[in-house]
Amino acid sequence: MKSAPESQAGFEPGGAAPQSASSAVTLEDVSFTYRSAQRPALLNVHFNQCAGEMIGVMGAAGTGKSSLARCLNAIIPEFEHGRFQGVVRIHGRGVDGTRVCEMAPTVGMVFQDFEAQLFSTNVAHEVAFAMEQVGLAPMDIRARLGPALAAVGLAGFEDRDPTSLSGGEKQRLAVASVLAAQPSVIVLDEPTTDLDPEGRAEVFDLIRKLRDRGLSLVIVEHETEEMRECDRIVVMRNAQIVAEGPPAQVLADTQLLNECGIRPPGLNLVLAALGIHSHARSVDEAEAIIRSSLHLPENFEPKFDLPQPDGPDAGSASTGVSAPLVEVGNLTHVYGGAVKALDQISLTINPGEFVAIIGQNGSGKTTLAKHVVGLIKPTAGDVRLAGRARTGLRPAEAAALVGYVFQNPDHQIFAATVGEEVAFGPRNFGLPAAEIERRCERVLKAVGLDGMRDKDPFLLGRGERQRLAVASILVLEPKLLILDEPTTGLDYPQQRRMMGLISELNRAGTAIVIITHTPWLVAEYARRAVLMRKGRKLFDGAVRDLFAREDLLGSAAFKVPEVTALSRRFGLVALTADELAGAIRGIR
Amino acid sequence: MPIYLYLDRRTFIHRLHPTVKILSIFAIFWSVYWVDSPISLLPVGVLLLAGAQLTRAWPNFYSLRWLFILVIFATTLTWIIFYRQGKPLFRVGPLYVSRASLEYGFGRGIKLAELLATSVLFLSTTKVEEFAFGLSEMGVPYRVGFAITLSFRLVPLFIDSALTVVQAQSLRGYDFDSGSLMTRVRRYVPVTVPVFMGALRKANNMAMALEARGFGYSARPTSYVHYEMRPLDIVMLIGMGLLGAAYFLIYYTGYGAIARR
Repeated sequence: MKSAPESQAGFEPGGAAPQSASSAVTLEDVSFTYRSAQRPALLNVHFNQCAGEMIGVMGAAGTGKSSLARCLNAIIPEFEHGRFQGVVRIHGRGVDGTRVCEMAPTVGMVFQDFEAQLFSTNVAHEVAFAMEQVGLAPMDIRARLGPALAAVGLAGFEDRDPTSLSGGEKQRLAVASVLAAQPSVIVLDEPTTDLDPEGRAEVFDLIRKLRDRGLSLVIVEHETEEMRECDRIVVMRNAQIVAEGPPAQVLADTQLLNECGIRPPGLNLVLAALGIHSHARSVDEAEAIIRSSLHLPENFEPKFDLPQPDGPDAGSASTGVSAPLVEVGNLTHVYGGAVKALDQISLTINPGEFVAIIGQNGSGKTTLAKHVVGLIKPTAGDVRLAGRARTGLRPAEAAALVGYVFQNPDHQIFAATVGEEVAFGPRNFGLPAAEIERRCERVLKAVGLDGMRDKDPFLLGRGERQRLAVASILVLEPKLLILDEPTTGLDYPQQRRMMGLISELNRAGTAIVIITHTPWLVAEYARRAVLMRKGRKLFDGAVRDLFAREDLLGSAAFKVPEVTALSRRFGLVALTADELAGAIRGIR
Repeated sequence: MPIYLYLDRRTFIHRLHPTVKILSIFAIFWSVYWVDSPISLLPVGVLLLAGAQLTRAWPNFYSLRWLFILVIFATTLTWIIFYRQGKPLFRVGPLYVSRASLEYGFGRGIKLAELLATSVLFLSTTKVEEFAFGLSEMGVPYRVGFAITLSFRLVPLFIDSALTVVQAQSLRGYDFDSGSLMTRVRRYVPVTVPVFMGALRKANNMAMALEARGFGYSARPTSYVHYEMRPLDIVMLIGMGLLGAAYFLIYYTGYGAIARR
């Protein structure tokens, strides 16, 4: 564990901070219930952060993580109203009655939604914003602009329009604009949830730099791997802190993590499955722990074939007999006469397949999927569904072949009840009432929303809304379901539930294509992977074969799950922790 | 999807003081307000074309060409129906084609197009932040100026989300081009509800982020951009004042009106 730096030298954090105070943030017996809510969001929470400490706050959705974060800059109770009890101190000073805006020079906050926290038309204005608000002289603003942008690696971006930046750059810009007000505490509330792996890496690199500058950091985050670098991890459940301690202690307790709806780090799962109660910070460390605990000789590299998982571990020419569902031939798409989003892509999808399309943002994944469902017309090449040209199909015929679930369920939910929402599609296509009724019932059951038929969809949680969005496409009974990042914004239990649902559909005969950034999802659920980069197809075949090709994955900035990386050290390509642990036990 | 009209060209018009640019808009709006005949609107038109040439703002005008054509054409047509003055040259259905109705309708069309062109020129040469700065220099409260700035940020976001919603619903068989007027209005619901709900959520997130960034700390925040009035600004102001005065004179002497023969 890295110890907290003793001084705050380097970035001159917040003038208000007395250097002698060792506590940056203290919450004493804080409880809060949102105005419209029945249950408290925070219940008797005690929280203490030393100056310069990096704390990770983890837990399932709705356990109070964001509420805890929002107490630190007075958003609770000054912006979000409700019943508040307890005391919040920043650098020993109570913040009771302080307005949110008055906290900006002391506590900076970066939000998940990067679109909603950028207000300006160029990068320099964006960074200047907070400084202008607190009344800094223009000369001082100009003096702080450069260093703030340099700190986040955006020097030279001053005149760029923030909307033209990548997700990672936008989030770094948000950090710069917070940093310019020179707070001593920075709170990041799920800063990487909406980012691709590259963007995530950028933001976590930046977080490391901020820590090295002596800033006190509170990070609310779902993904466990990145949280290993925190000084301390706080686990929340039912509005309370149920565990806290150094990552080595908290993240090694895979049972606790599972109970609290947090995905345990894959390496620790392997260790646990081997009966080793320990914490590995890296693949190197995990390998060393396993070799020493199990007394494996240094040079021991077993020749061992992994058991094939059930179902065909299929490449592109899989099930064979029936005609392909989708045939994409030499598809090219050029946006706005200049950007080649797709470059001569050919792809076949057969009935019953489970395919993951992976690649960086902008690699053409979504553009490809939108061609298949006919939302975009090809510049060149063609798309055929069940042997017929895509363009020759009537909408109802196409919808019965391919369904597409958008990333954000809120882009389609509009009806007053869950039942109405699901019935919308079949009604549009003029299906008979009895048939609609039969399908709605079946589909709501499949997604686990039966019994919620008369509920207002807007009152559902994010996970339920996502399943409702799937149901409203599923009800059209497509033979192929394409899901664009179906787990974004979901916590671990919700992700598992969503993927369980998708797997079940697949077993029942629906072909599945998921577009995703999440390596462990690809490893555990998909059988075939299509890797894309800059509009071209780099790989198309079995997931296991792809994960053996580190050269290819590296060039597309895709990282294999750590479990797979670890398995490579033992000469295998394992996709899950159990698989690897089983193989190692077999070795012994 | 073009998000802002601003073109980073740094011509002398770009460099004018934002307040002068705002006052120039008023002067042009004032000028065209007083006159109706196409011929009297011609000088302002020439001025605007010269402005487009000087600022090299043609790409913006080109991308909006259909809007200009539509505005002129539709307005002319409308007034040929409703402006029933002068001896008719001919009549077809509701159309009352006389020299007066043609002149009046075409004048109205040109007038609207000129208002549009003025705005395009302004937005092509002025950053939103400069606009807000100009307003605050004129005594408009900071929050009002900021709200205008923010609306420029939000509109494209909403358009984007509306396009996505239309795509999402079209895959569920949604088709708002068919049916009677009432069905069509009802058919907008699947698009408007998600867009508005999204907007509300976004607005709440934005308000939170704004306050967290210090918005509201001071009633008159400082501005890191600053513009000084330069001699050229004064010249521009005088020129615009003269333009406004000239047009009032044209109106006053009756030269800008339409002959109702």
